Amino acid sequence: MKRYLLGTAALSTAAGAAALLALAMPAMAGGKTKIDFWYGNSGHISEVVQQVCKNFNDSQQDYTIVCTSQGSYAAAVQNTIAAYRAGQQPTIVQVFDVGTLDLMLSDAYYPASKLMADEGYKVDWNNYLPGIRGYYATSKGEMYSFPFNSSTALLYWNKDAFQKIGKTAAPATWEEAAEDMKALKAAGYACPFGFDITADESWQFLEQFSAVNNEPLATKDNGYGGLDAELVFNKTKFVKYITDLKSWYDQGLAVIKDEQAGQDMVAAFASGDCQMILTSVGDHGTVGSTAKPGMNWSVAMLPVYEGVKRHSSLVGGASLWVLAGKSPEEYKAAAAFLNFIAQPEQALFWSTNTGYIPVTKTGYDYMVSHGFYDDPKYKGREIAIASLTASDELSATHGTRMGGFLQIRNEVANGWQAIFANKVSVQEGIDGMVERGNAILRRFEATYKGKQLP
Amino acid sequence: MEKRALFSNKWLGVALITPQILLVFTFFYWPTGQALFWAFTLERPWGGGNEWVGLHNFASMLGDPVYWASVAKSMVFAFATTGFGMGLALVLAILADRELRGFRVYRTVLVWPYAIAAPALGLAFRFILAPQAGFMAFLNHVWPGSWDPVLNGLDAMIAIIIAYVWKSIGYNFIFFLAALQAIPKSLIEAAAMDGSGILRRIKDIQVPLLTPTIFFLIVINLTDSFTDSFGIVDIMTQGGPARATELMVYKIFFDGFKGLDYSGAAAQSIILMLLVIVLTFFQFRYVERRVHYK
Amino acid sequence: MVERTPILDIVSQVLLFLGLLTSLLPMSVIVIAATHDIWTVNQVPMPLIPGHDFWKNVTEAWIRADLGPKILNSIVFALGVAAGKVSIAALSAFSIVYFRYRGKMVVFWLIFITLMLPLEVRIVPTYAVAANALSPYQTILDLTGITWLVHQATGVQIALKWGLLNSYTGLILPLIATATGTFLYRQYFLTLPDELTEAARMDGAGAIRFFFDVIIPLSRTNMAALGTIMFVWAWNQYLWPLLVTTDAAHGTAVTQLKELIPQHFGIPDWNVAMAGTLIVMLPPLIVVILMQRWFVRGIVATEK
Repeated sequence: MKRYLLGTAALSTAAGAAALLALAMPAMAGGKTKIDFWYGNSGHISEVVQQVCKNFNDSQQDYTIVCTSQGSYAAAVQNTIAAYRAGQQPTIVQVFDVGTLDLMLSDAYYPASKLMADEGYKVDWNNYLPGIRGYYATSKGEMYSFPFNSSTALLYWNKDAFQKIGKTAAPATWEEAAEDMKALKAAGYACPFGFDITADESWQFLEQFSAVNNEPLATKDNGYGGLDAELVFNKTKFVKYITDLKSWYDQGLAVIKDEQAGQDMVAAFASGDCQMILTSVGDHGTVGSTAKPGMNWSVAMLPVYEGVKRHSSLVGGASLWVLAGKSPEEYKAAAAFLNFIAQPEQALFWSTNTGYIPVTKTGYDYMVSHGFYDDPKYKGREIAIASLTASDELSATHGTRMGGFLQIRNEVANGWQAIFANKVSVQEGIDGMVERGNAILRRFEATYKGKQLP
Repeated sequence: MEKRALFSNKWLGVALITPQILLVFTFFYWPTGQALFWAFTLERPWGGGNEWVGLHNFASMLGDPVYWASVAKSMVFAFATTGFGMGLALVLAILADRELRGFRVYRTVLVWPYAIAAPALGLAFRFILAPQAGFMAFLNHVWPGSWDPVLNGLDAMIAIIIAYVWKSIGYNFIFFLAALQAIPKSLIEAAAMDGSGILRRIKDIQVPLLTPTIFFLIVINLTDSFTDSFGIVDIMTQGGPARATELMVYKIFFDGFKGLDYSGAAAQSIILMLLVIVLTFFQFRYVERRVHYK
Repeated sequence: MVERTPILDIVSQVLLFLGLLTSLLPMSVIVIAATHDIWTVNQVPMPLIPGHDFWKNVTEAWIRADLGPKILNSIVFALGVAAGKVSIAALSAFSIVYFRYRGKMVVFWLIFITLMLPLEVRIVPTYAVAANALSPYQTILDLTGITWLVHQATGVQIALKWGLLNSYTGLILPLIATATGTFLYRQYFLTLPDELTEAARMDGAGAIRFFFDVIIPLSRTNMAALGTIMFVWAWNQYLWPLLVTTDAAHGTAVTQLKELIPQHFGIPDWNVAMAGTLIVMLPPLIVVILMQRWFVRGIVATEK
């Protein structure tokens, strides 16, 4: 059967002169296999990713990786889907936590554990930190993607301010934190505790809080056990937490700081305006580079409620997925790249240049032995690792495996915005989040009818 | 609207429009048709299955009071931005058209806002409208609590309207100015000779001759503010606080582009398109009657 | 312009000046941000007295985002889109206003409806078309059985393929269809007196000559306005250029600019990002200035 290519000329008249200016596709340089890697980071982090890619390209002769920022996590996923459905997908893509489940339920990927076994790499998957492994592994404990940029939430506190109220340590419980806020307020600080109520903050106020306090978000092991999970966080300590937060807000102990108010909470902390915030360890470098000169500050684990045994906090960030439909050579290249970034030296490079944490034990040990955590610039970041490994057993919220989770986070934000604007009571607001969130879960379940969670 | 004097060569007319038709068919209707088909299914984003559900997506959407609230907000936003954006631009264009001292500077600078890139626009307005720090902090200093877009839905709506109008003035201004320039000087001079003053001439000559452009801008502005406003919402408020700025198109963008609910976004898109088509139809039917083409 | 009206002139000047200030205010915030160092730019409120790092930031943005070649790409892209839109819109509107054929209004509406659905929502199938612009026609041939018939009759398997990814054609062509432009010209053509057409026909001029000799010269101001707006619009496009140019070397200035925007957990170097914004904004601002030369007062009386 002969195949003819027709029609190139047919439409090019309509295209006019522009059609003649076609750009050349990048050539396969010197017989090397070229693969694409699409990611969502931007700004300075994108530059570090580019440097990682360059280091890989310089480290060997056989493969070239071309890394392209898609500008945001959502765009990276969306653009990859578009490309995948047109048969033009990159070999590796970075997928953020809330985009994971759609991909996991599709046929579009090559499972990480299988790829590495097929390509002859021996990977000790238990080397990944438990909090990270618990988040990304399937219910059967298999890893389908490679944890990449990872972080966890910490309490940032201003040592100078705490010294004024006679304290040298950060509060370990919320009861203690409430006393500290009152003392800070009495000492003349306008913003003892800064917080934010946008959708992104669901990650720490709902998800991280539930993890460290060992409270579930949903039935079925937070969704790991099946797509028919139902949200239950309107019956957990989360209600008490929001009730407390609201009362601290009403007393002027906790102040809303977000971008729209002109100053987000990280900036508010760095400038010395707010004395405590909860945010990602990823902001450690930001605070360091923008803090008021001479300000003494540190980080601590998230507070828990009194009487609660602290559990490991959650990982946040994104992981790398290898997509289906590529050639054996491309998979070889992908495995080589993923093996490269899993090396301890790369963990040190990555964490030195970004605020992200190492994802493996060997990476962490390597950084410790190289004195990374003794450097005053990075001191305190080891608390993130301590927080991720605070308990041996997995907490009720060791992760979230729920579909439409971005929309659920949006419902959470809508709910507490209404609570803080005094439109609804705390319980009504949280019931509303759960009710609308469950509708999203049922819709997702119907979309994947007949599919089993791996 | 129909001209009396037409060319009789029917096929030439068809040939002239064919390139555009080929383009819109290939790059709009073909892909859009597929995307909108998903409204009647539950589409999996990575492919591999889409269950036919008939009108289920529409039923669950239209049965949700939250959806109707977002329709109302979209209307408010569209009419407010169109009204302010066009009104201010018209006044400025008429003044700039008078060629007073420095008119070249005005003509240039008043178009510039349209050229600003989205991330910069968000940053600048965040600075200007921030209640605790920016220029609006002054307002809060004089009347404490008067400006709070973080928790007050009305203030947040005003903030996105201001940012959108600011950008659209440049767009409207340039088309108004182009139309004003097309009005022959002789006409205005003749009217002046007859003793009618400037304001009179604006009302009797310039505005009637501008009606084709005004009509054009009303239709385009309304359509754009319904369908092209998600970027500003995304940068400034993300639909909050508590859905106060959740415009229909932002919800479509959020569900479809960010949240991967292709079917839900498709169903919402169909409703939005129908709404805008009906609105546009009424404008052509009733508003265009008042346009003076001759 | 004709008589002296001092009070009205003062009022006009004041209003225009206020408009000028309002237009420049957000931009001045960007300019000031671009002069600060990273620490100052993150202060709240940001100091409005300019800092000293302007050139440093501009240089860093220029190098980091590789703006030189990207701006060249953007110029080709935006000029292509603007020129394409201006000409295709003129042709379409000419056809709709000056000819009579069945389905004319349907065609106008079909063009108009393209305004109503943002690319973000139809990105998946649109990308498939960009990967092979002839795929719709292939599908039609397949579905109608023509592919099969031709194959049976001649042994030739029809496989239409025209990939647009990583090409200027792919960047420009899908964005050229324009409802705004067609509508604008329609409005303008409808105001042109019928006598013009009649006179041209009396002279024996056909439609094409009438279009080039009469319509185009008369439309100069509108074309300048439309061309400017479309240039700026295309210049600021983000999602489409990002998708079709997977090869970083062929990206546009605005896609590069987005890469400068600080992300959470990254260093918040808004000073560099704003310096980059200024550079990227410059070409559109220059186009707006140049456009003024085309704004010439009308000479033909459009009324009877």
